[in-house]
Amino acid sequence: MIEIKHTLCPSCSVGCGINVILDNEEIVGTFPYKRHPVNEGKNCLNGRSSVENVEDELAFDSKVLDDAIGKLKSCNNEKITVVFSGNNSNEDLEAIKSLCESKGFNILSYANNLKNFDSVASYDDVENASNLFVIGNILYENPLIGRRIVHAKENGAKIYVNDDLENSPTSNIADEFTSLSVKEFLENNDFTDDSVILFNKVGSFEDLDLLESANSKLLPVYSKSNSKGALKLVDAISKEEALELLGNTEVLFIFNDDIVNEFDFDFKSIPQIISVSPSKNDTTEIADFVIATKSWLESDGSFTNAEDLTQEFSSVCESEKMGIVEIIEKISGELE
Amino acid sequence: MSDDIKIVGLLCNWCCYGGADTAGTARMQYPPNVRIIRVMCSGRINPSMIFKAFEDGADGVFVGGCHIGDCHYDAGNYKWSRRAKIVQDIIEEFGIEKERFRFEWISASEGEKFQKTMDEFYKTLSKLGPLELE
Amino acid sequence: MSYILARSSDNAILEAGECGGAVTSIFKYLLDEGIVEGVLALRPKDDIYDGVPTFITNSEDLISTAGSYHCAPTMVGDIIQKYLSDKKIAVAVKPCDIRSIEELIKRHKINPDNIYTVGLNCGGTVSPITGRKMIELFYDIDPNDVVSEEIDKGQFIVELADGSEKGVKIHDLEQQGYGRRNNCQRCDVKIPRKANIACGNWGAEDGWTFIEINDEKGQSLIDGAKSSGILETKNASEKSIEARSKVEGIMIKMSNKVQNAKFDEAEDMDVWKRCIGCYACRDICPICWCYENCELNKPYFKEEINITPNPIAFQGVRLSHISFSCCDCGQCDDVCPMDIPVSLIFDKLQKKYYNRTGYVAGVSDDIKPPLYSPDKVEL
Repeated sequence: MIEIKHTLCPSCSVGCGINVILDNEEIVGTFPYKRHPVNEGKNCLNGRSSVENVEDELAFDSKVLDDAIGKLKSCNNEKITVVFSGNNSNEDLEAIKSLCESKGFNILSYANNLKNFDSVASYDDVENASNLFVIGNILYENPLIGRRIVHAKENGAKIYVNDDLENSPTSNIADEFTSLSVKEFLENNDFTDDSVILFNKVGSFEDLDLLESANSKLLPVYSKSNSKGALKLVDAISKEEALELLGNTEVLFIFNDDIVNEFDFDFKSIPQIISVSPSKNDTTEIADFVIATKSWLESDGSFTNAEDLTQEFSSVCESEKMGIVEIIEKISGELE
Repeated sequence: MSDDIKIVGLLCNWCCYGGADTAGTARMQYPPNVRIIRVMCSGRINPSMIFKAFEDGADGVFVGGCHIGDCHYDAGNYKWSRRAKIVQDIIEEFGIEKERFRFEWISASEGEKFQKTMDEFYKTLSKLGPLELE
Repeated sequence: MSYILARSSDNAILEAGECGGAVTSIFKYLLDEGIVEGVLALRPKDDIYDGVPTFITNSEDLISTAGSYHCAPTMVGDIIQKYLSDKKIAVAVKPCDIRSIEELIKRHKINPDNIYTVGLNCGGTVSPITGRKMIELFYDIDPNDVVSEEIDKGQFIVELADGSEKGVKIHDLEQQGYGRRNNCQRCDVKIPRKANIACGNWGAEDGWTFIEINDEKGQSLIDGAKSSGILETKNASEKSIEARSKVEGIMIKMSNKVQNAKFDEAEDMDVWKRCIGCYACRDICPICWCYENCELNKPYFKEEINITPNPIAFQGVRLSHISFSCCDCGQCDDVCPMDIPVSLIFDKLQKKYYNRTGYVAGVSDDIKPPLYSPDKVEL
């Protein structure tokens, strides 16, 4: 019997809604969620394919969890680094943060050289801006924010785009396109308070200071569904700091992240890698301990999107696996 | 400038290609801008082939098949004649002038007709100039 | 084809229904008698703007689907084709839904013996978020207070819990960019005559549903529902038949005006520059059914990522495959992340095809669209 259920898309921080189609409680596809105010039923290719990976089932093995806990016990807490990924819900992140703080583990909170900004523009601000400064190929990489840029242009806004690619959809709608460095782009432009700077990348961590001091509304668009939630809980570090931390790590404890693809670092040099993941990815392939957990489709929780809107989602199907909060409870208990 | 005009010609093996051959053996001169691709029947041609030709840089596309009623495979050219109309309707919508796509029925003995058609097509395209696709 | 007025004998259904509760009653009859395994209908999930297709197998749940949801522009053709083609079902269909089902039947993707189609006359649907904004701006009402909406006599009318109503001319709404979806404004098939029966309130008296019975299966539906006691019927007067015809005629005239105005805009090439090649339009189209074998997936059509695809080799391919069967359902517009009016160009090409052949997608009686025919005929 088919059913259609509401959930959120896990692919980036725009915070789109998406419907999942279930046939006899098995996920078979997606369906437009037109009632959702962020994206009105529209989803990019990443969103529509996000439900397919759930099939890469990992089997939960309690012995693996016990062995992993053993490694945590035997290692010096200062040499344990926990990856604080924006792929996790706010509830899971709170539990991870508590664990780290109580045990003194290091927290690796990294978002592609971006950080949290307390005050951000709303998506409506983007549509109503007179001038939009866009850094990155946002129409292609975060289409449903790109849509707001299209609306802004229809409302008469002037669009300035800074990116490497000349023939991208984003550069095509630009009134002015430059491929200078982000630093030069920010220094050469005048910002007023009816303008919005949208960015999904920067040249370096230092560019963030230039953004902060620009007299304009800002909207950082992160690459993971709950990056905003994660960065609000634990401040982001730069790429250099992250690499240094990884170099000093003996046990890398990853919750729901494919970190090997984010850094040019020899992860195999880290003595122990524990990966808690709902599905197979490049990180679970090299991890020493792989602990299966529920995906967002099988859990309840909330994600906070780029415009600082926290949205709840409910599970669309059941799972016998342990959720991250449960796993952490078990670990805390054992580490007493 | 006119020497840069690129024409892709999809000719059916039994009739039109024979016609082009006849024109060649009789040393009839026609513009060298035509790049001929032989297909077994005009009915084998998908509209997507025409579109790909335009996308890849053709300034004009010509399709030649057997006269209606003479198809070697009985009804292939009927199918093509219907598709050709769809192709015409579609390319208009994307800023490609109708004159850049041309289809004719030319038999194997009609070398002169082939030569004349290629000449006319080339002249039309020279006037239109190279195709600027956005 | 014959005309009757029908009304539910069940008071709860009569109250919940849009006019006479006939559609819900007929579904109840089909489920209770075991003639179908389930009914596919819209149910409001979070509120009346959140219409979700629901497969009902217990007739007691039908009451939640009663009523018209103008702010739920769904398409059921591909749901039936993908997930329900092996079951015996009944489905509520707008004209665009039944047109897509007809086209899928021609392509052997849906078995007509397995489905009972209960048609709904349709003046158009409104996107949910647009609808809510519109109600705030033009009606000065909190959209959360609206319990039901209606399109009647050229107005979009909302009803509040206390029974009060407020209407605004659709024309005024659409002049300002609100109102019905773009494809609905162009659509000229208002009565689903390919469904077994076509139901609605045009020409009907208060509390009755006007039903046009289109074929034998439709007749058996009415006869069966009547003998089971859930439906009562009476003859439709000449006057009401005429009134209904008049409404249909006016709506078709309005659509033709919009078509003439909007089709020229299809040639604006600027919109294609923002296409990101996400395939949402192809994936949602009920007629497109090749899936993994789609020609656009073939290596010779694979573009560099990050670059805007060339529309002639992206949309052009899809246009050449299915534009003559386009039902103008507008789902492609609804799902495009860049708000490109995809349905405009597909509808325009279907109309061009109609001008050449007289074939209207999902309505014409031809067994196959002329393009597929093995006959030795030219267009």
